Amino acid sequence: MLSVAGLGKRYPGAARPLFSELRFTVGAGEIVALVGESGVGKSTLLNCVAGLEPADAGTILIGPDAVDMARLDEAAAAALRASRIGFVFQAFHVLPTLDVAQNIAVPLLLNGIDAAEHPRHIEELLARVGLAGFGPRWPASLSGGELQRVAIARALVHRPSLILADEPTGNLDPRTADEVLSLLLERVRACHAGALIVTHSRHVAQACDRILALDPEGLR
Amino acid sequence: MMRLGWWLIRAQLLARRSATALSMLAIALGVALGYAIHLINDAALADFSRAMKAVQGEPDVVIAPRDGAGHIPLALVDQLSRDAAVAVLAPVIETRVRIGDTPLLARLIGLDPFSAALLMPTLLPDQAADAMGSLLDGAVFASPALAEKVGADATLMRGAARWQARIGGELAAVPAGEKLLVADIAWVQAHFGPRDGVGEIRIRLSPGMPLAAWRAAWAPRLPAGIELRAAEDNQARVSNISRAYRVNLNVLAMVALLTGAFLVFATQLTAVAQRSTQFALLGVLGLPPRLRLLQVLVEGLAIGVPGSLLGLLLGCGLAVGFTRVAGGDLGGGFFSPATPVIVPQLLPTAGFFALGCLASLLGALYPAWLNRIQPLAQALKTGFAQGQARGGGHARGRDALLILALAVGALALARVPAIADLPLGGYAAIALLLMLGIVCAPLATRALFGAVARARLPAPLKIAVQNILQAPLMAQVAASGLIVSFALTVSMVTMVASFRTALDQWLDAVLPAPLYMRSKAVPLPAELLADLARADSPFQRVERMAASSFSLDPQRPTVALLVREIDRRDPGAQLPFTGAVADVAPGGIPVWISEAMQQVHGIAVGQRLRLPLLGREIEVTVSGVWRDYARQFGAVVMTADDYLALGGRFEATDLALWPRPGQEAAAQTWLRGAATRHGVEATASGEIRELSLSIFDKSFAITHALEAAAMLIGLFGLAVTLAASVGLRARELAMLAALGFDRAMLGRAVVFEGALVTCVGLALGLAAGIAVGAILTHVVNPQAFHWRMPLAVPWPPLLAVAAATLAAGMLASGIAARRATRLPAAQVLASAQ
Ligand SMILES: Nc1ncnc2c1ncn2[C@@H]1O[C@H](COP(=O)(O)OP(=O)(O)O)[C@@H](O)[C@H]1O
Ligand SMILES: [Mg+2]
Repeated sequence: MLSVAGLGKRYPGAARPLFSELRFTVGAGEIVALVGESGVGKSTLLNCVAGLEPADAGTILIGPDAVDMARLDEAAAAALRASRIGFVFQAFHVLPTLDVAQNIAVPLLLNGIDAAEHPRHIEELLARVGLAGFGPRWPASLSGGELQRVAIARALVHRPSLILADEPTGNLDPRTADEVLSLLLERVRACHAGALIVTHSRHVAQACDRILALDPEGLR
Repeated sequence: MMRLGWWLIRAQLLARRSATALSMLAIALGVALGYAIHLINDAALADFSRAMKAVQGEPDVVIAPRDGAGHIPLALVDQLSRDAAVAVLAPVIETRVRIGDTPLLARLIGLDPFSAALLMPTLLPDQAADAMGSLLDGAVFASPALAEKVGADATLMRGAARWQARIGGELAAVPAGEKLLVADIAWVQAHFGPRDGVGEIRIRLSPGMPLAAWRAAWAPRLPAGIELRAAEDNQARVSNISRAYRVNLNVLAMVALLTGAFLVFATQLTAVAQRSTQFALLGVLGLPPRLRLLQVLVEGLAIGVPGSLLGLLLGCGLAVGFTRVAGGDLGGGFFSPATPVIVPQLLPTAGFFALGCLASLLGALYPAWLNRIQPLAQALKTGFAQGQARGGGHARGRDALLILALAVGALALARVPAIADLPLGGYAAIALLLMLGIVCAPLATRALFGAVARARLPAPLKIAVQNILQAPLMAQVAASGLIVSFALTVSMVTMVASFRTALDQWLDAVLPAPLYMRSKAVPLPAELLADLARADSPFQRVERMAASSFSLDPQRPTVALLVREIDRRDPGAQLPFTGAVADVAPGGIPVWISEAMQQVHGIAVGQRLRLPLLGREIEVTVSGVWRDYARQFGAVVMTADDYLALGGRFEATDLALWPRPGQEAAAQTWLRGAATRHGVEATASGEIRELSLSIFDKSFAITHALEAAAMLIGLFGLAVTLAASVGLRARELAMLAALGFDRAMLGRAVVFEGALVTCVGLALGLAAGIAVGAILTHVVNPQAFHWRMPLAVPWPPLLAVAAATLAAGMLASGIAARRATRLPAAQVLASAQ
């Protein structure tokens, strides 16, 4: 699902590259944890994979057809994200002016999927993330845990092949964090997608299939 | 995708109802003003040409003397009538007459009923044979406007000539408002002349005869002093009379629309800033960059389309309402005060709609582009990157270069002469000056806030100032909107004040006598002049002037000829010259031309001219240029002695009168009595002065409406942006409050910051406004209206407007600060994601 090789990144003006010659893969249905100290470049790595930050070198092959994200222009990268990638962020990031169902429908719309088919699909998905009946509610009235469940539903609604999550439980209390994490893992497995999850939590990391540790020397 | 766009727009419009409504209103206001002005002018112009056509018929060609007092010799009429290509030839004599001893003036048109039946049927009574018969027998027919005022008989008078005429009936087909009388040409000729000719000839050519060929054949055969005007020349002349005035009003309306565009800009920029995280999220989820741009543009259109539609409705209503109440004249005095019919036409309507939409798109362009280029990962993390003071010296160098280029460009454009009689260079220079003001905004903000930041300030103030230095974009936008609207207000106020001051001084110079008497273009009655000349009249001095006109160019309005009793050796005693006066060789004929004449026809002092006067071309020498704010299309002054020596008749139409010392009151009484008796106008110089100034004020009333609109829109923009710039920092303010800062103190800091931003806008707006005002007075006015005047800046009203604006800016900041600090800090910090 994701195959990275020779990846290097150095921010303009930085004394030395953040990382270079990174090589790793995430298989279909495989959940990989990415750990490392703060400031080591985990988010940057995720952004490079998503095509949000240009990589200096390397290839980033995504999906069954192995499209190289590193070689796409901005518009093609956006299209690839829309069709192949699902995101979950630490800071929830739900659109406050759309209701829950609309928020979840956004990736479908971005993929040009007919809006008329949505309601049942979205209801089912909401039920599976434990938010049955939440469709017409506004994000402002939801708790953090509920918001992150909405974000998980949104990340999966369009059946992406790769889920990228940057500290998805970082803003939640330990109990909610556990619930949300197991939900995320369960849903990703159910969809048979690959996932790369950045986390500080040993607990989270151990729940994943494999752990990649990033430090200034590289991946281990 | 469409659905997603629609969701976002709907949410946006709902979430920012007041800002959206204000921008819509601003666009509507701009469109409405422009559209109303267009509709009124269009209707008035159509009315004017319709009336002209009704009276003149629709001849292919008119052959007329270039001198208003001249005529067409009978020999030429004879020659033309023998040309096989001439299908209809209608000779006409037109003269202005006074009816009885009343102040009623009328155009008396003498025509040949048979040719008129083919060419000008509206001027004939009903085709009943007896009416035609009585016309030939010397009956006079009156237009509806006159018929109700005259009885069965009327004395028609012109100078010493009078005609006791019988009124035969009414000319029902003549448009309302036209005061005219029609008679058989032979009868008019017998009473008022000219003995050996006719006034003009209207010609219809045979079908198949091309106008150009006929014109080319005849033009060289016409004697000097006679011109050939094709139908299109006439139309051009009619339109040229008011063209500059109309264009200028439209430009002013476009300026109101421009400020509307600025408000859309401010609204959309804040809309983008407030939603940068949302847009970044959408981008991360895969919204194509193209659509991030498009979304904001479409949101701009969502403001512009309803705004423009509303504007069209409003404009139409405004035009209909205005013409109902005040007629078709917007203050320029070119059109009749009758109510013209407003008929919206598809093309201009679509044009104004498109302009409104374009303005809103223009306003959304930069915000859309900013939205397009926001780095996604960063915007998702920290929100809107407010164009940090990055780039440093490099960017500053580029700004300086841009400022220099704009200033040089504006100066260069201001020196471009009129194009097609319109001050296009001046208008472009104004646009550059406004841009210059906007480009200076970042530099001025940086300079002012940098200086303030170095001062010792309480912590909250320091934080507020530091904040603007670090994230200056919103402050710059707030200042820029104010720069544009305040500059426009300042410039118009300055221009009008300069003009008024100059007019005031000019009136002093041209109204030396205490009393004046005037009869519009009709010679004053001979008896009146004889009475004045008697030894027992209460006047010690009477100066006569005869006003008429001649045509220098068939497409341009005619030039006034003023024959005056002027001392050749000292013309400066009676004319307000603008420069040196040149001596004229003893044998030559000196004339003194007005500034308008100098500019329209590009004439210099010392130059020789050939003027079409008295049926021939007379060589004169321009001896000086004088200021004339009364005749926009030019005037030439000649001494009465020269005019008489050339064989002209000096028939006074205007008198300046100086009462004998001690007899001022008696003189007034005498004059008023004579005026009523002879139906002429008598006025004291003070009244003329008052009247002129009130006409002036009336003709600029509409610019005040436009100024107010621009200023109002500018204030909206200021309030919206200042409020938004505070709103964007609600989180920061909440954090400061949580850290223990006093809320009132924080509020004061925000108000202080708003005041500084407003001051930047006001200062730059004032500077740009005075520069634009200088262009209006020194470039636009001379090129469009041919008046020149010194610049006079009216400080008291400008400072008053500035003070009011400053107060409004502080109020807007204060309210926004209150709103931002009112919420519990914890709630803001929790919700601001
Ligand atoms: N846009 C940027 N420009 C320059 N440096 C950046 C940028 N974003 C992150 N960095 C730097 O790159 C390093 C890695 O950041 P990040 O990837 O966010 O770390 P992590 O997610 O592992 O905590 C940090 O030292 C940070 O300062
Ligand atoms: Mg990180």
